[in-house]
Amino acid sequence: MNWNFETEHFHIRLPVSDTDGEALYELLRHDSAVAHIPRLPMSVSDQPEDELRRIAMRFESREAAYWLIERKSDNRVIARIGIQHINWMMLNTQLQWELSDDCDLVALQEVLPVITEYLMKDLHIQRLEMRLCQNVQRPDGNTHEGYLTELGFEYEGTLPAQLEFSGQDVDLAVYSLVNEETAH
Amino acid sequence: MKFTPELEIPGGCIKPLHYDDLDGLFELYQHPEIPGQRPLADKEQLNRMIDYSVQMAATQRGMMWAIETDGQIKGMVSGFDWQASSLRITMRVDGLPALSQSERGNALKAAMDFLTDKYHIRNFAYQWIEGQSEEIKSVLEELGFKKAARFRRAWRTGNTDFADVEQYHWLSAQSKPVARRLGDDDQLGQNIDSSPSGEVK
Repeated sequence: MNWNFETEHFHIRLPVSDTDGEALYELLRHDSAVAHIPRLPMSVSDQPEDELRRIAMRFESREAAYWLIERKSDNRVIARIGIQHINWMMLNTQLQWELSDDCDLVALQEVLPVITEYLMKDLHIQRLEMRLCQNVQRPDGNTHEGYLTELGFEYEGTLPAQLEFSGQDVDLAVYSLVNEETAH
Repeated sequence: MKFTPELEIPGGCIKPLHYDDLDGLFELYQHPEIPGQRPLADKEQLNRMIDYSVQMAATQRGMMWAIETDGQIKGMVSGFDWQASSLRITMRVDGLPALSQSERGNALKAAMDFLTDKYHIRNFAYQWIEGQSEEIKSVLEELGFKKAARFRRAWRTGNTDFADVEQYHWLSAQSKPVARRLGDDDQLGQNIDSSPSGEVK
């Protein structure tokens, strides 16, 4: 089963532990990439090595999968898009993305359908959801939930006090995409 | 070591699962309320579930009680997906047709009160699955739960069939516990039989 894909402008590939540490650190050391999760940005250059090892193990157990989105024109990693908490019995999973400032809606519109098609057609996932903080602005003035809506996700509600971050209880909004081919 | 207490409710109690109640629990599992769940075929599997119920409570993964009123096991109330550090848990009640809605609410409230007082849990979730009785939602709302979201096709009921799930939440107004140094008290294992000095009753 091939988990690596290609679009006109991007490689969508699983990370390589030995070589992707620097690119991952460059992506995840910015608060703007992780504020919607929410999570602290990376601050120590050893962190990507641990993260890459962890996600390799999670992928091997098919608990999660993360793809790096590499722009063909300059080989720069502009985003990481992953699925986690894969429930193979219920056939659903949670989507998570970390976007550099270079990754906009146009890039997501090229990349994400390839991933969702793979999840729904090849892996038979019926439901894909993202849980996130709302109103985190993107450089283009849009928000993550704005991107999700443009990509066909629907708002389902907001779960209160899901975690504590920076001393505050954080509510997480839920957006989902369901497999329309089997929904009716 | 005892982790799950027996708690009084009007007309009876909620109590830890016990091997003596195997027949009552098996009867309960012949009438699953969860859409898509089949009646349990092998009673022996309940022995393992009772073992798990103790282990879950000891490790703060979950807690399970049998609901007994009028001398009969009429249901179970459980907490699962316990996020101890986030002070969150998801609750569930499974009942026989004989379990009234007021008994369902009383059992749920007793379990939640205990978890709030003993473990400082502040955020209780409850998932109602499409196909379950609408009355369950009324019980939740009477207890103060509020609907937070409706997840589309989040519960699989068959090979190709899925049901929506409505998630309700109830948040405690109690302030969060203040973290102390490890060893400042003996409640780390949460053994309900232990005293503040560490002695076991």
